[in-house]
Amino acid sequence: MKVVIIGGGWSGCSAAITAKKAGAEVVLYEKTDMLLGLGNVGGIMRNNGRYTASEEMIALGAGDLINLTDENSRHKNIDFPGHKHAWLYDVNKIEPAVGKYLKDMDIEVKLITRVVDVEKEGNTIKGIYLSDGKYVVADVFIETTGSTGPMGNCLKYGNGCSMCILRCPAFGPRVSISYRAGIEDLKGEREEDVYGAFSGSCKLAKDSLAGDVIKQLDETGVVVLKVPQEDINLDKLKLKVCQQYALKEFAENMILLDTGHAKLMTSYYPLEKLRKIKGLENAKYIDPYAGGKGNSIRYLSVAPRANNMKVIGLDNLFCAGEKAGLFVGHTEAIITGALAGHNAIRNYLGMPLLILPRALAVGDIIAYANEKMNSKEGRTNRYTFAGAEYFKRMQELGLYTLDIDEIKGKVEKLNLTHIFNEKLI
Amino acid sequence: MSQACPCHLAETGDCILCSQLAGKDFCDCCNWNGVCIYQEYSSNNYKAKESRKYYNCEILEKRRFEENVIIFEVRGSDKLVSELVHAGSYIFVRRPDTDTRFDTPISIMDTDTRNNTITIAIEIKGSKTKALDALEVGGELLVKAPFWNGILGLKNIFTIKDSKCLIVARGIGQAPMIPALKHLHANNNEIIVVLDNSPYKNSFVNKYLEKYALKVVRCNAICRGRITDEFNDILNDLIRNNDISLVHCDATDILNYELMKFVEDIDKSIKYSCCNNAKMCCGEGICGCCTRKNNDRKLRRLCKMQTEPKYVLEGRRIF
Repeated sequence: MKVVIIGGGWSGCSAAITAKKAGAEVVLYEKTDMLLGLGNVGGIMRNNGRYTASEEMIALGAGDLINLTDENSRHKNIDFPGHKHAWLYDVNKIEPAVGKYLKDMDIEVKLITRVVDVEKEGNTIKGIYLSDGKYVVADVFIETTGSTGPMGNCLKYGNGCSMCILRCPAFGPRVSISYRAGIEDLKGEREEDVYGAFSGSCKLAKDSLAGDVIKQLDETGVVVLKVPQEDINLDKLKLKVCQQYALKEFAENMILLDTGHAKLMTSYYPLEKLRKIKGLENAKYIDPYAGGKGNSIRYLSVAPRANNMKVIGLDNLFCAGEKAGLFVGHTEAIITGALAGHNAIRNYLGMPLLILPRALAVGDIIAYANEKMNSKEGRTNRYTFAGAEYFKRMQELGLYTLDIDEIKGKVEKLNLTHIFNEKLI
Repeated sequence: MSQACPCHLAETGDCILCSQLAGKDFCDCCNWNGVCIYQEYSSNNYKAKESRKYYNCEILEKRRFEENVIIFEVRGSDKLVSELVHAGSYIFVRRPDTDTRFDTPISIMDTDTRNNTITIAIEIKGSKTKALDALEVGGELLVKAPFWNGILGLKNIFTIKDSKCLIVARGIGQAPMIPALKHLHANNNEIIVVLDNSPYKNSFVNKYLEKYALKVVRCNAICRGRITDEFNDILNDLIRNNDISLVHCDATDILNYELMKFVEDIDKSIKYSCCNNAKMCCGEGICGCCTRKNNDRKLRRLCKMQTEPKYVLEGRRIF
C-alpha cells in the first residue's frame, strides 16, 4: 500500500512518519532541496499551550519530531513578552536531523521534485503528475503543500517576492493539489475582504549585530530593543499571520530570539529604519533576503476538510498543516500531519477514521479551527496553542497544563496511549 | 513563458499561462517556466511588453523547386537568427509593399548562425504566397518574428536523448522536418525517415537526409484519407523492430492523426509530436483565427500555446 505525500514541511514529515509507522510504503515529494519549508526559519516550540500539545503528541505516540526539536534546542524554558517556557530549536541543525530520521525509517524522500497536477477517476485520485511530465500512482495522497506563496500571490496580496526560504523563482511555485482535483480553496483574511497574511517574522544574520546583542542572545536566548517613538507602527500588527505575536509590545519593541540566527519578531522592517535601532546598526537580513521590503503571503489555499483530515469531496486525499486550516506554527503542523498520515492508512483499509477527542488540546484545535473556517470572522483569525484566541480558549476550558503525568493520564483514560505507534498493515 | 511575456493577452485577462492574468485571483501555476509572468507584468507597470517586430531581410537566394515551391535564403540579424534555431520556430513573411493581411506563417527550414541566414520553403497556394513569388534576389522580405509553436508536443522532441526516432514527412512538410531532425540528431538519437514526396516528384531536402538520417524509406503514405497498405507494412516493421521512442510527423492533419492512432495502438508509451497546421493571421493570440476548443472545454490559441497533438487532432467540439 503506497502513500504519496506532497510537500516536505513539518506537516508532511509528520504525516510521513505516522503513515510509515502504520505500515505503508511512503514517498514524500518536496519541491526544494531541503525538508521543513518554513520550519527552516522558525524555531519556537513549547511556548504557552504548545507545551501541552507537545506532551499530548508524545503520549499519543507521535512525539518523534517533538523529540527531535527538543534535542536540537538552543534554549529551553525561556520567556519573552506574552510567552512562557518557550524552547528554541537551532534552525541550522534541525533540517539534516529530520532528513536523517526519515531516511532511517526507510521513508523515500524525493527532493527538487514538484507535483503539478492530478489524474482523477470519479472522486478518487489515481496519480499525480510531476513538473517534468512523469506520472506517479498511489493508493492514498496527503497534501501538505502549505499556503505560502507562490510569487503571484505574494505580489497580489503582499509586497512582491521577498526571496524567502521557499525560493519559488529557483524551484518553481507551489501548486494546490486539491484545487487541481477540482476542490476550490478557501482563503484566510487579514481584514474584512483583504486576503492572505504576511509571515510574522524574519531572520537577521547574528554576526551582523552588535557584540553585546550577540552575547545576550547566546546567553539568554532573548533580546528586547526599543523601537524609536517615530517608527512605532501599530497598524502593522494586523498584517501578521502570527496573531500570538501581534501584541503592542511587539510594535514598541524589537524582539530578537536566538534560533541560530537572530529571529526578528516582525513580519518585515525597512532596513534603513532597522539600522536606527541601537545594536542593529549593521544588521543584515538572511530570511527573507529582501526582509526590508516584505515577507511571504500565506493562507490563500486552505482545503475544506473533516476533523479526520480528509479533504471533503475526494475519496483519498488528506491534508494537514496550513493547507488544513488557518493554523500557525510547527507544533500545529506536526499534529495535523500525524493525524493525516495515520488516517490515510485507515482509509485504505476501510477502517473508521481516527478523530482526536476534544478533551485533548490537539483534538479541540483541529475541530475548533474547522468550525471557525465557516464564519467570516473566523477566517480573519489564526489558530495556535501559543496565543491569541485559541490559547485563551485552552485556558478557559482547562486544556492548558504543564503537568506531564496529568496529560499521560488523560490520554490513557481516552484509551489512546501510543495509538500512532500502532501498525495497521 | 517567453521574452514576449506578458503580451496583450495579460492586459485583457486572457493569458494562456498565468491564472492571475486569466481572471483568477490566486496562483494556479502549472506552466511555470522559471519566471513569474505576473511579476513581469507588475514590473512593467501593468502593461504588455512590445509585441513582435518586423524585420527587413535581404533575399540572398531564391530557388524554384519543381512547379510551385520556392526556397528563399534571407539574411537576418544575429539576434533574429539566434531566436529561430529551435525546432518549431516559424515566422510571418510578406512582400514589403503589401499590407498586414498578407502576413503568411512559414516554418523555418534551416538557420545558419555563422552567416546569419534563414532558409524557408514556400508552396505557392493562394494570393499571399503568389505575392511572395514576385520577390527576387537582392530584394527584401518583410519578416515578423520570432514565433515558436510550429510543433505540437514539442516537449517530446526536446527531452528525447540517446534513442531511436521515426520521422514521417510528406510534401511541403519536409521543410519543417529539418530543425526537428537536426535537434534529434544533436541529442544522439538515431533517426529513420519515412518520406512521401507527393505531390512532388522529388525531395528538396536530400542533403539534410544524407547528413542526419540513419535510413530513409520512400513510400506513398496516404490515399483518400487512409494510411496505404504499403505505409502500414513499413510502419509495422519499423516500429516493432526498432525500439522506437518517438514518432514525429510533418504532414497534413489527416496523416498526423492517422499516424498518431496507429502509434498509440502499437505502444502507448511511444512519444508523439507533429507539425502545427493551424491557420494563423497574427501569431499573437489576438485574431482568434487559430483557436480550437476541445472536449476538455479548454480553448487553445494554437499560434502560441504548446499542446499535445491529441488535444488538437481529436475531441474537437463542433457545437
